[in-house]
Amino acid sequence: MSNMDKATRVVNCLAREGGFTLSFFAMASLCEVLIDTDNEALAIEVGRIAANEAWRIEDKYSRYDSKSLCSEINNKAGQVIEIDKETFNLFEFANQCYDMSEGAFDITSGILRKAWPFDGSDNVPSKKSVQAALQFVGWDKVSYSANSFVMKKGMEIDFGGLGKEYAVDRAVLLISQKTNAPFLVNYGGDLAVYGTREYDAPWQVGIEHPSFDSSQSTLVTLRTGAVATSGDANRFLLKNNHRYSHILNVKTGWPVINPPNSITVAAPQCIQAGFLATLALIQGVNAENFLKEQNILHWSIR
Amino acid sequence: MQLKVNKTNLKAMLTTASCALLGSTANASTEESWQFDTAIMHYAEVDRVSATEAIIAGTKTFNNDEVLNLKVTIDALTGASPNGATAQPTPQTFTRPSGNGQYTVNAGDTPLDDTFHDTRVQLTGQWTQPLLKDYIVSVGGNFSKEYDYMSASLNGNVARDFNKKNTTLSAGMSFAYDVIEPEGGIPKPLSAMVVGDADDPNFEDDFNKTRIGSDESKSTIDLLFGVTQVINRQMIVQLNYSYSTVSGYMTDPFKIISSVNHNGEAQAYLYENRPDERTKHAFFGQTKYHFDSGILDASYRFMTDNWQIDSHTFDFRYLIPFTNGHFIEPHFRMYTQSAAEFYQPFIAQDEAKPNFVSADYRIGELDTYTVGLKYGMPMGDGNNLSFRLEYYHQTPKSNGIQAIGVLKEVELYEEVDAIIAQVTYSF
Repeated sequence: MSNMDKATRVVNCLAREGGFTLSFFAMASLCEVLIDTDNEALAIEVGRIAANEAWRIEDKYSRYDSKSLCSEINNKAGQVIEIDKETFNLFEFANQCYDMSEGAFDITSGILRKAWPFDGSDNVPSKKSVQAALQFVGWDKVSYSANSFVMKKGMEIDFGGLGKEYAVDRAVLLISQKTNAPFLVNYGGDLAVYGTREYDAPWQVGIEHPSFDSSQSTLVTLRTGAVATSGDANRFLLKNNHRYSHILNVKTGWPVINPPNSITVAAPQCIQAGFLATLALIQGVNAENFLKEQNILHWSIR
Repeated sequence: MQLKVNKTNLKAMLTTASCALLGSTANASTEESWQFDTAIMHYAEVDRVSATEAIIAGTKTFNNDEVLNLKVTIDALTGASPNGATAQPTPQTFTRPSGNGQYTVNAGDTPLDDTFHDTRVQLTGQWTQPLLKDYIVSVGGNFSKEYDYMSASLNGNVARDFNKKNTTLSAGMSFAYDVIEPEGGIPKPLSAMVVGDADDPNFEDDFNKTRIGSDESKSTIDLLFGVTQVINRQMIVQLNYSYSTVSGYMTDPFKIISSVNHNGEAQAYLYENRPDERTKHAFFGQTKYHFDSGILDASYRFMTDNWQIDSHTFDFRYLIPFTNGHFIEPHFRMYTQSAAEFYQPFIAQDEAKPNFVSADYRIGELDTYTVGLKYGMPMGDGNNLSFRLEYYHQTPKSNGIQAIGVLKEVELYEEVDAIIAQVTYSF
């Protein structure tokens, strides 16, 4: 993130019916916390807690920030580096996601972007360049312990598939330590709710997909837990009338066939929902069936 | 691609995986911790009273939204306060309220009694909790003690939310009991202050003849009814009506009134006397409006009582937040009141003594205004520091009674300036 963005790190507070909406910008998304309270000072404090944590996570794990820990890890690929407890825990989670998905969810797969620019053009890469990129992909090629990490030179870690969801869950954790007031944390469509609202009313959130018109936005009704959305938005390649989605099969290096445009998944925690949404998308044409079989609540747009 | 893991496995595995990352307590009980506010305030009138106040308030919120507030306030008051007598073109001598000694006031000066120094300790506790659906009840008590004064009160409140919490109706009641035990006893109303030779052996006897007891008390009942309405995303309005009835001793045992001859020269100083019943009605309206650039807090209070005091208070604050979490809040307050029906600046010696009379400028015709500024900043970990500086100006005014003789040459309604400084730290 640029320094200019950091200069605009502010939290706005707006009163609404029954409470306040705190908003700020982090991780390339509009982030909001809606809290049901008439205590404005508390609302402002809650907004600051959420924002500071989101900005902290962004500063630490963004691959776009050359000063982040993520960039440091990537720059030092090939060397054994020290990691802290939080990073270890994230690697552990990513590791289990890798295992659960049998290698389909892989935080080292970001490097495939170099072969697949997904800019809406028809630059479908050659098989050779995809094969070349695949050499640097594979969570099984890394090794780590509670305080060290090493991966092959040329590999890259990308927390992009987890970071925003992790920030949502961290916000829920921190705010719930501060207050009992019911609240909703929504970071660009990845969201979680906490507490019981007046009359046990649910939260209703419209989840819009950047490339879709509003008629296709998903209205999610939520009393507890979290939802996260994965989709290919307007990131695709178009060649010979074939739409190559930006969802890549990590094993082949080629796009998944016919995934939903967007899939929204419910789970107790946002990071779980995020993983499940991504995992479903990777199932391509079987995305919805996969979630149905797993008995997981979801909303899909095709 | 087909996954081999079965469905229960995937969900269970995910729960385990995220537990390690986020802890398992995300939805468990929250921490019950105390929040403290501390403040030091200094109030100083030019050449008169100054007061220093220290406050420690603690708030603890329990898991089921029960809230306990405890507060300790310590005040130290020193300085001089007007005794009620008028200025004169000649020096004047007064006996101290305790009967121990005398003090002299220079010609032309508003007589101030400089014996004021006292320390007050006040304890306040309040318990608030939700009850049934939509109801919040609160009970509390207050006790304060200073050298010659004791006050104790109990209160209870109930509030009910309607209309998805957009409307709140509340009702409250409080009962207070106050006892005053001035050093030197309670003066006999309208008796003349003994101003002779304090070393005279008969002085003490003469002084005691102006005393009717050692202590007096009063009791107060307050009723409050309020409605709070959320108007829209930016605006909230509150309207209150309160009724207050006080019975008992409301006379100020330290205040006197000059009894003057036809030329305005003080011949005697009479101890004041006030009615022992007082009923007040107050109407209060407040709105907070959230602009893009800040929050306006405007309020108006109208109070009227059966002493014929009517007062109007206008109060405006505008909180301007900065992007770094600091804020600045200008404040302006205006107050005006009419005089109590028994207020008069002096008594004509040859007229019949009224039943009730007081020359205390605080129940005379009076205008005041306050201008101030508050500056606050976050200190990390949710702690806050703020500073407040205010200027207060008091303009007592004539209620139409014409000055006579030498009183035309002196200032009967001296204006007062004061500065209020406060530092608050919340953690």
